[in-house]
Amino acid sequence: MDIQNPQGRSVFAVSRFDLEQATKGGKNLYLLEFDLIHDIEAKKKTALDVLKNLETTGAILDVKLDLEAVGDLEGGDFSNRIPLYVLFASIIEADIMPALLDLNQSAIHAVDLASAPAASAPEFAQELLETTPPTPEEDRTDDLVKELFSADTLAAAVESPAPQAGPAPAASSPAPTPPRAPEAPKPSAPSKPAPAAAASEPEPASADAAPKPGGKTFTQSETLRVHVSLLEDLMNLAGELVLSRNQLMQAISSNVLHQIQVAGQRIDLVTSELQETIMLTRMQTIGTIFNKFPRVVRDLARSLGKQIDLQLEGNEVELDKTIIEGLGDPLTHLVRNSADHGIETPEERTAKGKSPTGTILLKAYHEAGQVIVEIIDDGRGLNTAKIVEKAVAKGLITAEQARGMSEKEKANLIFLPGLSTAEKVTDVSGRGVGMDVVKSNLDQLGGQVDIETQPDKGTTIRIKLPLTLAIIPSLLVSVGEERFAVPQVNVDELLRVPAQSIGERIELVGDAEVLILRGELIPLVYLSSVLNLGDEFSSAARMVGHVLRGEPAPEKPVDINLVVVSAGQFRYGLVVDELHDSVEIVVKPLGRHFKECQGYAGATIMGDGHVALILDVAGLGRLADLSITAGLEQKSVALAKEEAAKGVREDRISLFTFRNTPTEHCAVPLDLVARVELIQAKDIEEVSGRRVIKYRGGSLPVFSLDQAANVGMLELSGELVVIVFSINGHEIGLLASPPVDAMELDVAIDAFTLRQPGISGSAIIGEHTTLIVDIYELVQTLQPDWFVERTALLPDAGGDGEVGVPNLLLVEDSEFFRNQVRRFLETDGYTVETAEDGLVAWNMLQADPDRYDLVVTDIEMPNMDGFQLAEQIRSDARFTGLPIVALTSLASEEDQARGKAVGIDAYEIKLDKDRLLQSIYDCLQRYAAA
Amino acid sequence: MKTQQSGPLQMSCFYVGSALCGIDIRVIQEMNKQMEMTRVPGAPSYVLGIMNLRGRIVTIIDLGKKLGLGESKKTEQSRIIIVNSREENIGLLVDRIADVVTTRWEDVDPTPSNIKGIKGKYFHGVCKAGKELVAILDIDAVLGDE
Repeated sequence: MDIQNPQGRSVFAVSRFDLEQATKGGKNLYLLEFDLIHDIEAKKKTALDVLKNLETTGAILDVKLDLEAVGDLEGGDFSNRIPLYVLFASIIEADIMPALLDLNQSAIHAVDLASAPAASAPEFAQELLETTPPTPEEDRTDDLVKELFSADTLAAAVESPAPQAGPAPAASSPAPTPPRAPEAPKPSAPSKPAPAAAASEPEPASADAAPKPGGKTFTQSETLRVHVSLLEDLMNLAGELVLSRNQLMQAISSNVLHQIQVAGQRIDLVTSELQETIMLTRMQTIGTIFNKFPRVVRDLARSLGKQIDLQLEGNEVELDKTIIEGLGDPLTHLVRNSADHGIETPEERTAKGKSPTGTILLKAYHEAGQVIVEIIDDGRGLNTAKIVEKAVAKGLITAEQARGMSEKEKANLIFLPGLSTAEKVTDVSGRGVGMDVVKSNLDQLGGQVDIETQPDKGTTIRIKLPLTLAIIPSLLVSVGEERFAVPQVNVDELLRVPAQSIGERIELVGDAEVLILRGELIPLVYLSSVLNLGDEFSSAARMVGHVLRGEPAPEKPVDINLVVVSAGQFRYGLVVDELHDSVEIVVKPLGRHFKECQGYAGATIMGDGHVALILDVAGLGRLADLSITAGLEQKSVALAKEEAAKGVREDRISLFTFRNTPTEHCAVPLDLVARVELIQAKDIEEVSGRRVIKYRGGSLPVFSLDQAANVGMLELSGELVVIVFSINGHEIGLLASPPVDAMELDVAIDAFTLRQPGISGSAIIGEHTTLIVDIYELVQTLQPDWFVERTALLPDAGGDGEVGVPNLLLVEDSEFFRNQVRRFLETDGYTVETAEDGLVAWNMLQADPDRYDLVVTDIEMPNMDGFQLAEQIRSDARFTGLPIVALTSLASEEDQARGKAVGIDAYEIKLDKDRLLQSIYDCLQRYAAA
Repeated sequence: MKTQQSGPLQMSCFYVGSALCGIDIRVIQEMNKQMEMTRVPGAPSYVLGIMNLRGRIVTIIDLGKKLGLGESKKTEQSRIIIVNSREENIGLLVDRIADVVTTRWEDVDPTPSNIKGIKGKYFHGVCKAGKELVAILDIDAVLGDE
């Protein structure tokens, strides 16, 4: 472009590029017009001085002495000035230039780049094209767009036919992606007229969209489609991250702790958002695999002569790319199975009264942070008997185990290695890829598979998948100094067995140590021994060995920390030294030297830079020699043990313990407690002689134990606990002192020594004599009107036809329970007579057969137990109209089945008051109606 | 000699026990003396553990043990040589770093049938460097999975 003086004469010709370079960083461009005569000579300066002076404040782009402006002798118009033009770039503003340069304002012309005529002369334009990059750059972007565009369409073109490429062999070719990337850019090259310079350009530019095409190190390059808005989000986040980093650097250099913290928080926030967004770019819709199935199923249906309707649901559900890729094969196998074995031929279906067209429903949806994929068919279902037969024949399970299995467990046997139910190998399924392979494939993806089947109704296969594999929430545990991560999906619960109760919670079954967890036996695996960490790490193992086998004790007693984990068919308690936090970890693969190691799923780098190994729960299970069927075995052992324990089991009750005065220990049955609130003594108000506290927008009457019973005075100061009970629809609070606790235990209740109104007895709990508070009796003395009102309202509770109050016979050997249950039955409006055991009850019934409307009986009793009593009653014709409700602390399925067999109408847990009352009411209603 | 390679060869030399070994300098990524590693229970005995190398998990191998020269001791002079082998970074624990030696493949002699008890299959050959013999390690064979 050319620079003109105010008279419109071109003075300088400078390329726009140079000008742009010179004016970078907010510099102004000036055209200075010095007059050699007046501005320089007259002021006794030299031109050189002037230029040197200029150089100190800016950059001189060009200098020109305009001799033409002087005029010539012939022309006669002699101007008395010799202009010296300087093209000058400086940060100095126009208004101070005259003072600085000692120059007249009129001699300083600011040059505006934007408004300056761009390349007015054609030769300048030519020059620009040759020397300056901007225009070619435009060209290149143009090419780039073209290139990307053509690559894109080509990719699309390659992509769309690929899934239709027909039924690929189930075991090979994970995804149709490989051919896409290397091919796409190549065909686009000829269509591009750009020279070689441009051809090399797209590589770095498109690198973020697709890895370098065809580099020889990339044996298999893949591309990923990402929504533009997502990329923009990423850009924004990256920008924010940079800003936050700058803030942090600044804060660190100024050493202000507060600012560092603020910047740290910001970075924390941005990083997690960035992580989430990046993970989103990996997400692909499951539709990409679902969409190939219509064709697969159609082809199959045709070759098998079946009519199959495939329905797809949840195409839009997104999963991590790696999972999508790994899911293709197993899913194909399962769908084929459904089509081949599940759906019957049209004739068969019509014969069964089903529509000739079978349906396979492929469904994906989110549930509890996981993705569930279901394959549901309405075919013939699995023949579980045949599966079991096969499994037994192949020695995978024993006949005994098979007997103890539910239908669902039997169906899931199909996933055992080496079991194929297909009688003959057909073309479609049975190509050597059994269900066990499906399962192991899904296991690798961190998925779980489950099968449900009903004969002639169909089969549902449910696959649970994690959303992503790269970052997983994990629990950190440690053994000695070594830390390990256990994927959270495998963690069922955490447990600490205190040193003193090892004997109760852990037992020996054969040679194996097992944990008793709510009636289930769970094998223990010591992380230290399964990984051979050495003796110094096995204090937990020694502790258990000491208690159970009398081995030498460790130096000091240790609590046993364990994680109950499950993976596939394994479920065991992993014993570790310490349990730490749950953190999100980035999974990194282990090198090739570890492929023989079974126990690890990878490694991760912790916040402190150390490396921690990620445990593979199933692999550890195998290392510890827990066979797959061991779980089943355990279960039968558990059942046997329970059976054996039955005879000796005491009544277990759940108690809520608290203190009246700090030294007076009290307890109430936990089931009666509605809530517990912590209050300050000053919150208690006294209104018309009654104490109340403000509670949930209303007033809650509260009382202390000493108001109704002869116990120590509770001092109303400091922090107090209010135990809220709900009695006959009223709420009342009992004041007590902390600490409070809830425990389940076997206790012998002494109902005589300390018996008094409001106290039903005492028991020894944890070395303290504890008063068992009878809340009904207490409230009855304090609020008699609640009960009068109640009994008056309820005489008809027994049913429409009955006259008067239903009379119940309560059979229970433990006096504590007898009194408790009687009391709440009575408060509910029934009259209750009691018997200590079955024999007494039977005699009472014999004496007056019509006296009782219902029998509530315990199961475990001396002389005659509940089952025998029920049997007796049912065998006598006089009692056909007598309902029997059983009360028990054992409510195992087997017990219930046995109860049903002998004619028990309902089974209820002791002290589950509401359910018991409901159950009694229902029974009475039912028998009255019959 | 196993390989038919020719041309110049630059080797980085180091001591494993008392044996002087060399690795083609082109497979070496870096050397460091970071000795903090996490052991991996159940791994082969020559694997010392894994290490965090700037966000990557690197397997560390006791070269002495792998070559059958006995366990290396970690001393002040011990170094870890990070090499690239089959797209993976692997660290080799060596006792001491020596010089870089420049020679030619043509000057590499076949491995003597028994050099100080080292398994011969792990070597390309030997060459002379000054007064000493350098055994040239075939890194892919050493780190192969047997």
